[in-house]
Amino acid sequence: MQEAIKVEHLSKSYGNLRVIDNLNLSVKSGTVYGLLGANGAGKSTTIECVLGIKKADIGTVSILEHDPQKDRTHLFQKVGVQFQESSYQAEIKVGELCEETACLYKNPTDWQKLCREFGIGDKLKSEVKNLSGGQRQKLFIVLALIPNPELVFLDELTTGLDTKARREVWKMLSKLKDEGLTIFLTSHFMDEVEVLCDEICILKKGKAVFYGTVDQAKEQSGCTNFEEAYLYFSGEEAEAE
Amino acid sequence: MNSFKTLLKNELKLNFRNMNMVIFAIIIPVIVLIVLGFIYGSKPAAEGMEYTFLEQSFGALCTISICAGGLMGLPLVVSEYREQKILKRFRATPVSPTKLLAVEFTIYVLYSIASMLILFLAAVAFWKVRLYGNLLAFFGSWFLTLISTLSIGMMVGGIAKNTKTASMIACILYFPMLIFSGATLPFEVMPGIMQKIVSVFPLTQGIQLMKATFLGLSVSSEVVTPILIICVITILCFGISIRYFKWE
Repeated sequence: MQEAIKVEHLSKSYGNLRVIDNLNLSVKSGTVYGLLGANGAGKSTTIECVLGIKKADIGTVSILEHDPQKDRTHLFQKVGVQFQESSYQAEIKVGELCEETACLYKNPTDWQKLCREFGIGDKLKSEVKNLSGGQRQKLFIVLALIPNPELVFLDELTTGLDTKARREVWKMLSKLKDEGLTIFLTSHFMDEVEVLCDEICILKKGKAVFYGTVDQAKEQSGCTNFEEAYLYFSGEEAEAE
Repeated sequence: MNSFKTLLKNELKLNFRNMNMVIFAIIIPVIVLIVLGFIYGSKPAAEGMEYTFLEQSFGALCTISICAGGLMGLPLVVSEYREQKILKRFRATPVSPTKLLAVEFTIYVLYSIASMLILFLAAVAFWKVRLYGNLLAFFGSWFLTLISTLSIGMMVGGIAKNTKTASMIACILYFPMLIFSGATLPFEVMPGIMQKIVSVFPLTQGIQLMKATFLGLSVSSEVVTPILIICVITILCFGISIRYFKWE
């Protein structure tokens, strides 16, 4: 199986604070990979370094066999990104934001259809700022899928969504995965990770403390419940008590 | 080029919705024209002159929208997009910084064209202003003034750390240029030493060129120097804004 993302010995510090410490990742094409960890564990910084938006101190990154620092234009034809903080022009409407995004790609998908599938097809003429949190979150997943990507990065994909909406998003993503899409996501919802992810990596203060599958995590921690296994590895259990 | 058109269309719509530029680049110049029109009407610029005061001021009037766009609109929109992380979103798409800057640049070119046309039509219709010089020469001077001013704005927007810095630099450039380069206060009434100081503004050079070409005055041999100054500043500013462009 081909590797969609390969990260080797990635480290990044802000001043004296080491945010990522010697991280290695390997994501196979057509799989869903979950990067887990507490707030501030370094998930978003990892995504930004992998995408080449932030420059890592050391380490190499290859996405779909491109160097993200050097080959940005070609790479982002094939990669969609949803950032944790969504940003948009103050008075832009949903349809305009989709249109503006679609026009940047060679083979964009039919965004109107995509919006309908995500249940925001009737909001195209609304201003983005007037959407509910959940609708906006769905819109930003739609934006990440507009390029017809081979690989998509979703940073906290279902934060702000209600239970029903989360399940709809899971269903959509599973369908896209069956069609061959590779997904790299971060999430705080372990039920979601259990349903979606083929492989996971758990970060603790910038260090990878677990690589493997959900089942392996349960097995190694001796927990029957994945959420407990996650807490075991991320070390949040002790602090929570 | 399709993406350029779509981006331009959307950004133009957003800009209209915001209304700031419609007021500062379109409405304000018209108000100044009306005020000057009522005060001076069709009076000659000075005793015995064959052209009127309005005709003498026409070039300067055109620069009000150029200043508003180039020294306020453009730097602020670029730095705002950076601060609000809109550029970061674009960073993760295939779009090039040059294209994004070109889209914003074009918006303010369009505002300036619109403003010039409206001013010209109104001035001709109500105060019988006419062009004495060569239309192409006037248009060329207008164009030089426009791109040099916009290039300064683009550089400020491209490299300012945040919106606050950008708006501070914009104010420092905007008000002195608007007041002292001849756009508001006629260059002729300034004392000699002041004329020398304000001559460093590309806008001053631009307005002098526009005035001479509009009125068909015999352009002195010194015309090469201002054109050179303007061109050098323009190329320098464009170069810096693209070379040192920051997404975040």
